[in-house]
Amino acid sequence: MAPKTVQLEIKRQASPDAPAVWEKFELEWRPGMNVISAMMEIATNPVTADGQATTPITYDSNCLEEICGSCAMRINGKARMACSSLVENLEQPIRIEPLSKFPLVRDLQVDRSVLFENLMRVKAWVPVDGTYDLGSGPRVFPQEQEANYPLSNCISCTCCMEVCPQFNEDTGFVGAATIAQVKLFNNHPTGKVFKEDRLRALAGDGGVQECGFAQNCVEVCPKQIPLTNAISDVSRDVTIQKVKDFLRG
Amino acid sequence: MAAPKIIVVGGGLAGLAAVIKIAEAGGTVDLFSIVPVKRSHSVCAQGGINAAKNLKGEGDTTDKHFDDTIYGGDFLANQTPVKAMCEAAPGIIDLLDRMGVPFNRTPEGLLDFRRFGGTLYNRTAFAGATTGQQLLYALDEQVRRHESTGHVNKYEGWEFLSAVLDSKGVARGITALNLRTMELRSFAADAIIIATGGIGAIFGKSTNSVVCTGSAQSAIFQQGAYYANGEFIQVHPTAIPGEDKLRLMSESARGEGGRVWVPRTVGDKRPFKQIPESDRFYFLEEWYPKYGNLVPRDIATRAIHKVVYEHHLGIDGQPMVYLDLTHIDRATLNRKLEGILEIYEKFVGDDPRDVPMKIFPGMHYTMGGLWVDFNQMTNIPGIFAAGECEYQYHGANRLGANSLVSCIFGGFRSGPNAMAYARSLPAAEGDGGHAAELARQAEINNNLMTNDGTENPFKLWRELGETMSKHATVVRYNKGLKQADEKIVELQERFKQVNLSDKSQWANTSFAFARQLGNMLELSRVVVGGALLRDESRGAHYKPDFPERNDEQFLKTTKASYTGSADGPRFEYEAVDIQFIKPRPRRYDATK
Amino acid sequence: MATVQHPSTPSLRPGVQPLRAGQGTSFLWRKLHSLLGIVPIGAFLVEHLLSNFEALKGAAAYGTQVRFLNSLPLVRGLEWAFIFLPILYHGVYGVYIWLRGKSNIVYYPWTGNWMYLAQRYTGLIAIVYIGYHVATQRFLGVSLPENPAYAFAKVHNELTNPLILAFYVIAMIAVCWHFAYGIWLFAAKWGITPGATARVRFGYACLVLGIVLAGIGLTSIYAFVGPGSAAQAAAVQLH
Repeated sequence: MAPKTVQLEIKRQASPDAPAVWEKFELEWRPGMNVISAMMEIATNPVTADGQATTPITYDSNCLEEICGSCAMRINGKARMACSSLVENLEQPIRIEPLSKFPLVRDLQVDRSVLFENLMRVKAWVPVDGTYDLGSGPRVFPQEQEANYPLSNCISCTCCMEVCPQFNEDTGFVGAATIAQVKLFNNHPTGKVFKEDRLRALAGDGGVQECGFAQNCVEVCPKQIPLTNAISDVSRDVTIQKVKDFLRG
Repeated sequence: MAAPKIIVVGGGLAGLAAVIKIAEAGGTVDLFSIVPVKRSHSVCAQGGINAAKNLKGEGDTTDKHFDDTIYGGDFLANQTPVKAMCEAAPGIIDLLDRMGVPFNRTPEGLLDFRRFGGTLYNRTAFAGATTGQQLLYALDEQVRRHESTGHVNKYEGWEFLSAVLDSKGVARGITALNLRTMELRSFAADAIIIATGGIGAIFGKSTNSVVCTGSAQSAIFQQGAYYANGEFIQVHPTAIPGEDKLRLMSESARGEGGRVWVPRTVGDKRPFKQIPESDRFYFLEEWYPKYGNLVPRDIATRAIHKVVYEHHLGIDGQPMVYLDLTHIDRATLNRKLEGILEIYEKFVGDDPRDVPMKIFPGMHYTMGGLWVDFNQMTNIPGIFAAGECEYQYHGANRLGANSLVSCIFGGFRSGPNAMAYARSLPAAEGDGGHAAELARQAEINNNLMTNDGTENPFKLWRELGETMSKHATVVRYNKGLKQADEKIVELQERFKQVNLSDKSQWANTSFAFARQLGNMLELSRVVVGGALLRDESRGAHYKPDFPERNDEQFLKTTKASYTGSADGPRFEYEAVDIQFIKPRPRRYDATK
Repeated sequence: MATVQHPSTPSLRPGVQPLRAGQGTSFLWRKLHSLLGIVPIGAFLVEHLLSNFEALKGAAAYGTQVRFLNSLPLVRGLEWAFIFLPILYHGVYGVYIWLRGKSNIVYYPWTGNWMYLAQRYTGLIAIVYIGYHVATQRFLGVSLPENPAYAFAKVHNELTNPLILAFYVIAMIAVCWHFAYGIWLFAAKWGITPGATARVRFGYACLVLGIVLAGIGLTSIYAFVGPGSAAQAAAVQLH
């Protein structure tokens, strides 16, 4: 019997202005293989299925445990983390493409810095007075911790943004991840000092109002963060804030 | 005088901790990181962070934390900095709590603590099973806050290549490579803090992240810095074997009651459910009744190694043992360990709530690192180091949940110390060596890019990893270590023949990797050479031919320095600071 | 800083811009769109469907209902302020929303995503239909405000064309769908149903409402075209 193989089709693009081409690869199958280990294999022997020499694939990766958020890409059409994409669970040939909503750098690597910029614009932090010892933090009951912890698990992979029909260059929508972080920090006993600022920020162009509630974000989120709940809660808070602001003049 | 300008290399916990302190003190920071800092390897830490807060009424004290750490590290750590760390730990937990880390709570709303390896106290604060992620995010958020006020400039996607040293050997900046545009550039600074983590990549597969190559430490080492205790490599007892890496199964799985076992009889092929309690060999509990499954990592690792390779009791004859949580109810597991159980489920396909996990030891942590003084400064003036990339806090073996505290503590010390150093630094003569260093790096880059050999760097790396894992992890023999060193020398020769299949000047990952590989090879010799010379067993370093600890000869810090010759690094030894706790035998099978 | 000479590098496309924190007025316009869909447009829809239901009682009863509505004070002003202009705005801004969204149902064929797409198509059908309906029934032909008694006949005559009848049936379903899911969306996006369970439950409530409204609407259509409707229409003579 011929050894079991893995067929891959990878969309390559040498630079943002170079043409995109599909390259096919055929690798020996091994148990437990994931998309990352397949690409590592290609790096050790960069030859396509039809024997053409090529270059190792450029892609972002780091922890390979689905906690750093680096290796998001489209695998068989869907945005997901390459490290947790086990080959045996995927239909072959496995088609791998970069995320489509972010500026392409090379091959499967894109620039997702817009998320970090968004986090800055909503002041996604707790403004502590300083890092010197000021005693223990505020009391937080386990029920509150259990509500907030899932939101704090966001790995900034941007899958929720990639799959959102409203996240695009026309809307400049901020995306679910940032909205969930606003909820997280507004819930924090000290973080809530910026609550009004964050809500006003999210009423700006590209803010929470752009959500079309297609709910793809919550479907795709590799960390199962309750993103639609966060959008719903934050939307309400933003509206109330805007009404208050209007009434206060 | 203008505010000092500090460069921090590495955006994990230690780097970010340093950045925050510098920004707070009014300095400006250029922060360099290969990946966006929020994706640093610190996110992988799962179990928790130690501090003797004594919130469980057990009479825990910072002195006991200090003693556990020194004892766990087999007395190799200098005691002054470790004592300071343990004393600072409760304050660090409070600070993190104030920053919004979602630590698990008691019903009264206070911090909850769990037990970890190497201690008898509930001393480990935790945020679910993703403590490292939560801590890193808290610091990342604070850094973003300082970024918004202009105190911090991030250079994400830049890789550190070397320090810029002036004619007196004083650090004046760094050179770095833009991983997207491949631009080589030098940056001036009054002081540099290296916080680049562990060196897992030299072992091929490890629990470390892709960026943990030790390349930066190696570059500094080759520029004259001492590298200390390189031979001390922690192999985590419970990792999930994988094709691309070894994934950590946190010690908290055992902290919450997980039990390690194998079938009692060789070749027992029954599924786990059909193996009755009497036919299960809970070897850690039998061998170490006091600590049971929570013996320190080196002990657990060797026990698993022994049960597999000497007793031949690995599951299905494979190098794997069971880590069993199935006796704990699902609700408890979900509340306390959900994150790590999901990892197992996702990457293996079995639900650990129903089926015992199959695990095996994997390279996990670098106890050794750049030599630093008690102010976190290396022997190169102006270059500081903090976090896993330096050697100071864990001796011969690190206790679980001590790494996060050491990273933050080291960062918090290095930042202000670098500021103080920078304030008294006289101005550089001439350009401070920038042009010369830039030219040197440009030449290295050019040689690599135009090299016309036949070797693939990724293949060389695979061979390096296999050699290192085989000879320089759990059990070490001098014969094997010599073979490993010869292999590394061979790989270094072949590295000169490296041919990049990608010669482009845009996001060329092969090029960046090849540069790292060159540095990894140099550092591998430090690890192997140090291990070869240390004829004793201490902490994670275990030689069956020298099974006892030998304080007379080896209660010393190994210091390696670069020679540039084919003979490899030069080794010298430094006395260990033992002024507070007198070394005593380290035994976990009886009361200490 | 010193730097090594480097060949010209490609530049990235700009990509999605970050949040314009606190800037612009799109929040107001989007929320207005959303609110108008419920009040007054949704409210008017319910009123209209219930009024049409009078057709079941016969041409005379229907004529009386039309006369009553046209006798409300300031009815012409109310008609523009609470019906025509809100619908026009809701429709035009709705199309604008659609044009700025990029459906990806091909890759993500999930329920919420289908509903997202359906809300756009049902909205489009509604705009076309309402434009046609208002033009033909309100502004062209016999003026019903002046001849309310003729209302039944006018509708009946139009629906005798099977193509137009089909158009009415499709539009009735589309409008009710759009409204029912619109209420669900409104509740979700204004934070009235912030929990997943609440949204599921409310989803069933909206489904029932949609089916009831569509049932009423289709029954009314039947009243205009069913057996005996021709005789009733013929009985109403134009003065």
